[in-house]
Amino acid sequence: MSQPAPKQTYRSIEILDLDAEALERLSSDMKLSLSREDMVAVQGYFKEAGREPTDVELEVIAQTWSEHCKHRIFGALIRHTRDGKEETVDSIFKTYVKAVTETIWEKKPDFILGAFVDNAGFVRLDDEVAVCLKVETHNHPSAIEPYAGANTGLGGVIRDILGAGKGAKPVASLDVFCFGSPDTEATDIKADDVLHPLGIMRGVVRGVRDYGNRMGIPTVAGAIQFDPAYIYNPLVFCGTAGVIPIDAIEKEVKPGHHVLAVGGRTGRDGLHGATFSSASLTTDSHEEDQQAVQIGNPIEEKKVSDFVLEARERGLIEFITDCGAGGFSSAAGEMLSETGGELYLERAPLKEPGLVSWEIFLSESQERMVLAVNESSLTELQELAETYETECTVLGHADGSGILKVWHDGACVCELDCRKLHEAPRRQLESRWETPAFREDVTLDPSASELLQQVLGDFAVVSREPVIREYDHEVQGNTFLKPLGGAQGDAPQDGSVIHVDGSAPLMAMALSLLPEWGKTAPYEMGLACVDECVRQLVLCGADPTRLALLDNFCMGNPDDPRELGCLVETSKGMAEAAAHYQAPFVSGKDSFYNYFETEDGPVSIPVTLLVSGLGIIDDRQHVVGSSLRRSDSVLYLLGELGRDLGGSVVARCLGLDGGRVPRADLVANGERYAALHRAMADGLILSGHDVGEGGLAVTLAEMAFSMKAGVEIDAALSKEQLFAETPGCVVVEVAQEATQTLESRFGDDAIRLGATTDAHRKLVIREHLEEDLTSLKQRWQHGLTPYY
Amino acid sequence: MATRPHALLLKFPGTNADEETARALREVGFSTRTVPITRVTKDDITDCQLGVLSGGFSYGDYVMAARFAQLEIERRLGDALHAFRDGGGFLLGICNGFQILMRLGILPAGSLVDNVSERFVCKWVPLRREVSDSPFLQSLPEGFELPIAHAEGRLVTKDESDASRYLDEGLAALRYEQDVNGSYEQIAGLQDSQRRVLGLMPHPERFIYRDQHYDRDWEQAEHGWGYYLFDSIYKTITA
Repeated sequence: MSQPAPKQTYRSIEILDLDAEALERLSSDMKLSLSREDMVAVQGYFKEAGREPTDVELEVIAQTWSEHCKHRIFGALIRHTRDGKEETVDSIFKTYVKAVTETIWEKKPDFILGAFVDNAGFVRLDDEVAVCLKVETHNHPSAIEPYAGANTGLGGVIRDILGAGKGAKPVASLDVFCFGSPDTEATDIKADDVLHPLGIMRGVVRGVRDYGNRMGIPTVAGAIQFDPAYIYNPLVFCGTAGVIPIDAIEKEVKPGHHVLAVGGRTGRDGLHGATFSSASLTTDSHEEDQQAVQIGNPIEEKKVSDFVLEARERGLIEFITDCGAGGFSSAAGEMLSETGGELYLERAPLKEPGLVSWEIFLSESQERMVLAVNESSLTELQELAETYETECTVLGHADGSGILKVWHDGACVCELDCRKLHEAPRRQLESRWETPAFREDVTLDPSASELLQQVLGDFAVVSREPVIREYDHEVQGNTFLKPLGGAQGDAPQDGSVIHVDGSAPLMAMALSLLPEWGKTAPYEMGLACVDECVRQLVLCGADPTRLALLDNFCMGNPDDPRELGCLVETSKGMAEAAAHYQAPFVSGKDSFYNYFETEDGPVSIPVTLLVSGLGIIDDRQHVVGSSLRRSDSVLYLLGELGRDLGGSVVARCLGLDGGRVPRADLVANGERYAALHRAMADGLILSGHDVGEGGLAVTLAEMAFSMKAGVEIDAALSKEQLFAETPGCVVVEVAQEATQTLESRFGDDAIRLGATTDAHRKLVIREHLEEDLTSLKQRWQHGLTPYY
Repeated sequence: MATRPHALLLKFPGTNADEETARALREVGFSTRTVPITRVTKDDITDCQLGVLSGGFSYGDYVMAARFAQLEIERRLGDALHAFRDGGGFLLGICNGFQILMRLGILPAGSLVDNVSERFVCKWVPLRREVSDSPFLQSLPEGFELPIAHAEGRLVTKDESDASRYLDEGLAALRYEQDVNGSYEQIAGLQDSQRRVLGLMPHPERFIYRDQHYDRDWEQAEHGWGYYLFDSIYKTITA
């Protein structure tokens, strides 16, 4: 019997003779998401090479140049106008992220051990060990298929950590979601096939749960924001922190190294993920882009993790990176970008037969890592793969040619000059921001008691307990400050603290996002997000001189000058605060085109900045938590509360628009955080809690939810001060014998608010309210229960 | 000086609490070795004094919790764990490990099924020690606290009266003080009739040090309660 002739696994695409219009049409037909200018540049490359491209090559260029992979908007040249004044922003990334970090890096070379280059940024924990953090978004997949989207979102960021350095150990995860309100009326959703926010929320939480829990990585920190603008385009941020020996951070591919694929097999799931993420969503997305959503298998990844960590400990890994967006093409492309090398696609283990070349090379099937190793390590690695029941396959090798050649069944299907490949045409954009006229006369009419009830029950403030309990936040046994603490184990904390095995210092994690602020005051939002993250890390016990931040931006349409202007202003505020606090950005990510074409026109998300951070805690004694610990202690407010209510939860509850958004006073706040840290290190502080969403009244209630004491506040405070969210303020609990020291250290910056008492379990604020703590706690604790 | 007693931890794809369990065992004085199921031999088992199945999601628990792990143990080791117990060895199964021991039939008959809430739940719960003859529990007070973290921890028996019989016969070693998952008789842990095997859903390895407690001011004992569980079996073996 004769063998059927082998099917051609690739094809040549004729582009050399096409005009610009035809090129653009080709890009659209092939779903390349490349612009007309991009296609012309691609044509130029192949004209120079004197041949037509293969489909594999076009797919590789499309994903390499996609917004998702290349961040072309963050690197664009922007003509920005603020209130009529024009300026040029030569790349948001370079100006507001990288430059800030580089300046700080010069001053802290021993602390910052890596930023922007690898899968995650590294900072020093102690002499031997570094910690790292990476946060990714998985917005579009989660909108279409919430469970799988969030599942693989977390799975992907965990692989980022496994591929950081020569393989970091994932030790904790965080998750931040932005949804439409769970009580959204179905009739308010103005497009077909859009999932109700409740369905999205449940799917997303379960997706994160099932990946994180099965991997055995505690999900310890998070937040959920609700806004109608997120109905069509929910945001799902997944982050993972890792630990690595400092001497395993540096990695290098050398000619002669073998390139290995480890883990899951390659299939048709997750094709075009990178390009799909770089366009807006439409109703058609729900039908057409299903195959762009990957399928997760956490146990496959757990096996890979066991394999990678042991291989790294045995010194068998020279270079490692994960297969994320773009699959093998981007992982191997990154790995072989300096040396060049050859890959043989027929060697890749497949989930099903019949995949053509570009499918194998571009597939975003999950749970795969790519390694570069010495030939002498191959046998041992093969045995290790058998031990952990995973697959390990030699795909090819690195050589010194500088050119990546991809072969499939004897044919060269892709040969691109790496150096020329990454030169995507630069984008030029326009942006503008007009500062709105703020109202200065916003006052609060209802009683403080009514307001507190309302704010404590608002989705922005209520306990996330139903969600937190679904996550195993204790696995690994190192969750030192837990997401829920206090004497009853159910009160909120400002961040989380992770003990690292074998190290005395601990790692603090915190995060901040304030999308409501950015709607009218993006610069203030940028300042406040950094300020709040820094404040929370310090409240966790971290040394304010050893913090590291991550910036994750999401926005709608960057071609709309107003939306882009909002992003530019946010970046400015963020950069200024980070530079002031000397807290470098060590990693970050941006996600654009988060808008949706509805019946009523496009709906964009508000520009959303998530600032997450790591901090180093020298001594476990510095970790005090945010819950009251004594019934004979004194409470102080550190910092001055203003009365600006713009962006606040109370203003949202009452529908008070147009209020001025408060601006963080970086100088005063920085001094306060340094003093607070010294006070915590000296044991003066029993507990401390951030004045954040909801304001001072909520802070006091949340501290009292440990139920160890009642609270009596007798300081003179206006109603507005009880609910204002002025950045920089903190409430601390101090033992009576320490009050003099505290007052002399903080001077006018400390206002004595009142005291805790054993006489009752109430929150009493003189002239404003007297509320039973049990009923306040009930309202706060169960606000989300009916919906989750 | 006598050598330290040796604990063997079996690891499956998806086992994820082996490191902290090994840490806990070393903390009380054991030497430990963690062996993936693909590499374990019958000799490994006869060479240890304590066999441990730690928490996680063996093979993903996609079919029924612990079903694949049970089949793999039977395929690779036959009845070696039963024989080990009958020959004087001790076995401990925590969470997924408890589920595996149940499926292997080493513990009194029953199943660990979906929580009544049909949810994963991670929280600290008060527990009651119901027996005084468990080699794993003698250093613990009658009432203590440990975290749980499971979706399939509801202990059911063929007939509900079996569960109360386990209570009468001293097989129900541990109970929850509150109904956390719908377990019959609020049973949280079982021991075998020979008093050599303990399976429990709560996680003692997560409460070894005092400051692992959620309350910064917890000071009911010198160590976390979990320490005393591992210390009990250490003392039993070294006595």
